Amino acid sequence: MKRTYIPKLDDILGGGIIDNASVMFSAVPGVDYEAFGYQMLNGRLRDGDKGFVFTNVAEPETIIYEFRSYGWNLEKFLEDNRAFFVDGTSPFMGLPSDAKYSIEDYSQVEEAILEAIEDVPDGIGVINNLSTLIDYLGEDETINIIKKWNLHGKKYNTSLVYLFTKWDYNFDLVQNLKKSMDCVVEIKTIEERVIIGQGFMVAHSSWSKPSDTMVLFFVVQPGGVKVYIPKILVTGPYNAGKSTFVKKISKRSVSVDRKALSAFPTTIALDIGHLEYKGFIADVFGTPGQERFDLLLDVLGRESVGAFIIVDSTAPQTFARAKEMIRKAKAEAIPKVLVANKQDLPGALSPEEIREKMKLGEDIPIIPAIVTEGKGVTDALEALLGLLYGD
Amino acid sequence: MVIELIVRISSGIPGLDELMGDGGGSFVDNTVTLIYGPPKVGKSIFSYQFAYEGLRNDEPCLYISTDYGLKDMERNIANFGWNLDEYIDNETFYLIDAISTIAGVEVESKPNYFLASVHNPTDIMVKLGMAIRQITSKASRFRSVLDSLTTLMAFNDEVLIVRVFTVYIMRIKESGGTAIVTYTEGSASCKVENMLKAIVDNIIHLDGENLTIEAMIGGGKIKAHYDITREGIIVD
Repeated sequence: MKRTYIPKLDDILGGGIIDNASVMFSAVPGVDYEAFGYQMLNGRLRDGDKGFVFTNVAEPETIIYEFRSYGWNLEKFLEDNRAFFVDGTSPFMGLPSDAKYSIEDYSQVEEAILEAIEDVPDGIGVINNLSTLIDYLGEDETINIIKKWNLHGKKYNTSLVYLFTKWDYNFDLVQNLKKSMDCVVEIKTIEERVIIGQGFMVAHSSWSKPSDTMVLFFVVQPGGVKVYIPKILVTGPYNAGKSTFVKKISKRSVSVDRKALSAFPTTIALDIGHLEYKGFIADVFGTPGQERFDLLLDVLGRESVGAFIIVDSTAPQTFARAKEMIRKAKAEAIPKVLVANKQDLPGALSPEEIREKMKLGEDIPIIPAIVTEGKGVTDALEALLGLLYGD
Repeated sequence: MVIELIVRISSGIPGLDELMGDGGGSFVDNTVTLIYGPPKVGKSIFSYQFAYEGLRNDEPCLYISTDYGLKDMERNIANFGWNLDEYIDNETFYLIDAISTIAGVEVESKPNYFLASVHNPTDIMVKLGMAIRQITSKASRFRSVLDSLTTLMAFNDEVLIVRVFTVYIMRIKESGGTAIVTYTEGSASCKVENMLKAIVDNIIHLDGENLTIEAMIGGGKIKAHYDITREGIIVD
């Protein structure tokens, strides 16, 4: 096994990748994912392996510069002849290329990469970018060539890493590409009007049974791919059951309550919980319902990737306040689920009635719940994960 | 009955708004317009005017430039007596510069200035996402310009650029933007040209003498004479 040097990915894959694996990072357009390939290459080079980069998206100089911005010294490995470029960019721009292999015509690309694979036995090759290759070579030709490269990789014990941007290709092509690989890592976005987060999940691997967990990440310079624990916001009007919801959804939680002055303890700062569900990890923040704490909503909302809006189904007079809180938490711009709590009480409105009264679009799931009994809590979580995972 | 109010935004081209909608603006908000025609008929100038009109009215602009870097753009725009600096400094003008890295120009980094390469559409889309995220956090409405598709097609396979363009349109529309996109007539195959026309909302043709609105949401076909003056394009 070889490490991927991507945090969390090795765990999900059962320790790393098999030595001669073909791995495809498949990303929706707009996700910053080139770093995945470069980070793997850098880690392997640092550990003494050999490697190459095929590029048809930037000249070698630019890629060296990108490595430097991540804090990785590719030049040193180039000087030591442990790394080299297969340059499919410079000749097309009329620039001179001093790369070990340079491609002047796409008919040369198959042979050049076969040779490059032989040059790095037990090492790694990064292909950036597979999509650009497809558009030049055609779909069938690309699949054929990839199969040959992957076979060659097997023979020389070389890992091949493909960076693939999933433009609107037809379904069959994408399926065929996936089938040609030992491992596919999907890189997705969390969006609500704009991209607010990005995550990766392993779609399949030939050597392990990976969990279908999405790991959220960002790319930093210097540093590369870093995973982070996302925040989930729980908000809603006073006495809707937010604190109870945070407790029920979390493995552990703390609440900053003011118990002394009232028979009903109320949250005056925050409920904080930690959630782990089917491999998905998040910190949960419950806000106070009273208006004088609305300042917190803005701060918490801005950093969250998803929100639960809790309402008391028997109290339609508070719905306007719930909508106001959505707006103040900037929760219009994050995926959200409405939890229709207190369904067991007389006079509770049904989810449909609440949707009507609050004028909510069909894209916002409304989950009936009795939070005190834990009913509907898992459904609400499933609904939010469905929105975050986007399928 | 629900009456939807159609919001029109001003083109920044003197004479055009009057021609198209009683002076109430030219382009329907949240649409994408293709500006096409032979070389040197004013497509980029049209783009500058559209962008500048928005900036003057506090609408941020996200400009993807494939032909001119920041310095060149500032100079081109200054030729018409307009000043970009103010909007660069107050961070309402966002530029994705897809040419300077290729030209080897060193540029200082700013939060509203992104370097990309015409060769790397994947990276352009990443920068687009980053810029949109910043812009939408401070404004609900913004303008975008992509100048030009022709250059992207010169450096990439045409069909790939149609795919990229589709994503661009989706991202702009989802986030509340209104865009114009330039393309030099005849630089791609007929098939690709038709695909481009099919995926935009509005189409304007410039030929150096006449401006023809070939398709427009909420409007008919219009043809009018225009001149390129020291104050930019003026429609009679």
